[in-house]
Amino acid sequence: MTIAPPAPQPVAEPARESAAGRVLRVLLTQRIALLAVLIVAVVVTFFVQDAGGYLTAPYDFDYMSASLINAVPLAMLGLAELLVIMSGRGGIDLSVGAIVSLAGMVFGFGYGEWGWPLWLAIVVTAVFGALCGAVNGFLVSYIGFPALIATLATFYAYKSIAIVANDQQPISTPPIQDLYSLSGSVELPLIGQYIPDVPLGIFTFLLPTVVVVWVLLTRTAYGRRLYAIGTNDVAARWAGIEVRDTRFKAYVYAGLISGLVAVVTVGQFASARPDAGVSGSGMALPAITIAVLGGVAITGGVGRVAGVVLATLLVVWLNAGILLAFVGNEGAQYQLLALGTVLVFAALLNGLTNRRYGGSR
Amino acid sequence: MSTQTLQPPAAPVTPRGRVLPSPVTGQELILVGVIAVLWVALALTTPAFLTAGSLQPLLVATAPIALVGVGMTIVIITGGIDVSVGAAMMVSSVITAKALVEQEVALPVAVLLAVAAGGLLGLLNGLLIAYGRVHAIIITFGTANLFLFLGLQIFGSRTVNGIPATLAFFGRGQEGRTLGLPHAFLITVAITAAAWWYLRHTAGGRHFFAIGGDPHAARLAGVRVQRRVLLAYVVTGLLVGLAACFLIAQGTSTLDQSVGSGKELAVIAAVVIGGTSIMGGRGSVLGTLLGALLVQTVTSGVTQLGWKSQLSDLFVGVFIIVAVGADLLRARARARRTS
Repeated sequence: MTIAPPAPQPVAEPARESAAGRVLRVLLTQRIALLAVLIVAVVVTFFVQDAGGYLTAPYDFDYMSASLINAVPLAMLGLAELLVIMSGRGGIDLSVGAIVSLAGMVFGFGYGEWGWPLWLAIVVTAVFGALCGAVNGFLVSYIGFPALIATLATFYAYKSIAIVANDQQPISTPPIQDLYSLSGSVELPLIGQYIPDVPLGIFTFLLPTVVVVWVLLTRTAYGRRLYAIGTNDVAARWAGIEVRDTRFKAYVYAGLISGLVAVVTVGQFASARPDAGVSGSGMALPAITIAVLGGVAITGGVGRVAGVVLATLLVVWLNAGILLAFVGNEGAQYQLLALGTVLVFAALLNGLTNRRYGGSR
Repeated sequence: MSTQTLQPPAAPVTPRGRVLPSPVTGQELILVGVIAVLWVALALTTPAFLTAGSLQPLLVATAPIALVGVGMTIVIITGGIDVSVGAAMMVSSVITAKALVEQEVALPVAVLLAVAAGGLLGLLNGLLIAYGRVHAIIITFGTANLFLFLGLQIFGSRTVNGIPATLAFFGRGQEGRTLGLPHAFLITVAITAAAWWYLRHTAGGRHFFAIGGDPHAARLAGVRVQRRVLLAYVVTGLLVGLAACFLIAQGTSTLDQSVGSGKELAVIAAVVIGGTSIMGGRGSVLGTLLGALLVQTVTSGVTQLGWKSQLSDLFVGVFIIVAVGADLLRARARARRTS
């Protein structure tokens, strides 16, 4: 909610801008540039700390690469939030974590208990996630529920069904446990000797999702329609765009991605846990944080895939460093501090950018 | 040119008919009906339900949600939201619990401490939202993390043990009741009634609705928008502090780190079930109290029927959909009548 008195419009741009002013403007208006600078700052800080011997374990490229396994669910759900927040009219999806839990149980039953082939289990889980997203999309887009309310309600419902489905018990039969090998790290062919091993999930799930969402947003008519309805859905309707259908699909895609994250999560835990996506503060809040940090405007219509990916890298490498900088449980607490500070900082920055430069890209 | 005597304008016709919406909305009547049906159904199926031993805990458990719900209703009426109340409750209650254990403070001091702590956290939210001009949901997601960090740091260990029974006045026990009614619930009802009157019958109260309807129009009409928004979050914080006292009193002598966790969604659920529009500009604290009572009735009913307790979340979800859906349909019908 912005309650700003209308700012006086500058009559003309100042003819010349100092170098420092230009750098500041680029950093504030180009979210990608800001995130890149912050990532470098974080990594350099921890490298220096590491060299000074302040960390409990070495913070090097191997460690950074291994910590990327945490980026897989985070970035994917961040992209899911990107799609729904972009769709405008207060778009948000609080239920992604609950969909991860519920679709994970579906995967656990199908692959772990009923012996489906892996590809079928993955496809069914993803389709199931998409169905859960379709419920959200139907409520929001066709009935007209505010997204916050609809997804809050489905968050409760999915969470409850996931926990009751197997009587609060996780499913960790042998086929599920064997999936853990999928979340290991692999050496890349050709260049593998020169760079650290990379978690397999990056290639099997994250990169395909990133590429598909990027293509969807920037290279298809659907992507242009999504930007259009997020920016101004009345204008979009007058332009002949099926607003409701377009918005509906954004929620379906978010559910689909959440279904895929469920498979990743089951592999990481080597068990289908009924509270996988909702324990603690859940998966939805970090995902929304990533999206906002990545420059997605909560009012819709603005957001880029690269921003979300860079924001994920920033948060993952920051968290990984914090874990090493503190002994024991403290690290997890300071991660909360870091996440909260970064989010408030990013939000204030978005506001400042909007007032000073009329928006960021 | 002859000088014309200017006719004084005719006295404005005093508007007849209602300026205010009716004191009780349709949503609230429906909620009363639904709660009555549920209570009768539960009384028929489980004979133990309509007894003091079952209803008193129900009312005690409703109190903290409904109390924070009063503040949340005001915040949502202004077009905002506060998802940090669960974390703020945790901070408030751990500070108070520590003071009770280590300083052995008296009841009024403990309450003041909790309310002050909650108020400060609310002030931080309010300052960031009103003057930082950032969307409330983003800021409060951020401050929720900060509050969690703060609370966990104050906790130090996993639990606070040996909390004395200083706050028993708000608790489940005999000291916590007058004429069979729990004090926590009575206080909540009193604060709800005061807020209802304030929101409905004072200029300051109507300003919140004006801001939620259109902040720019409200500003042009002379409402100090930023101050009113700040006030909404501070009031929520103060109520969070009092609710934290209720939570300590309701628990055992041990407070663990999960206190307050997930409460923000329960509060928001109570508010929207009560008929407050999440888009701002419309809502009622009376509905919120009924919404909280309904949610707690479902939770308690599911346990008493011997069903899995996690099923209550499913019903809460369904109630949110039905309540907001009914509201949407009525709004659509209203729009059709007027056009």
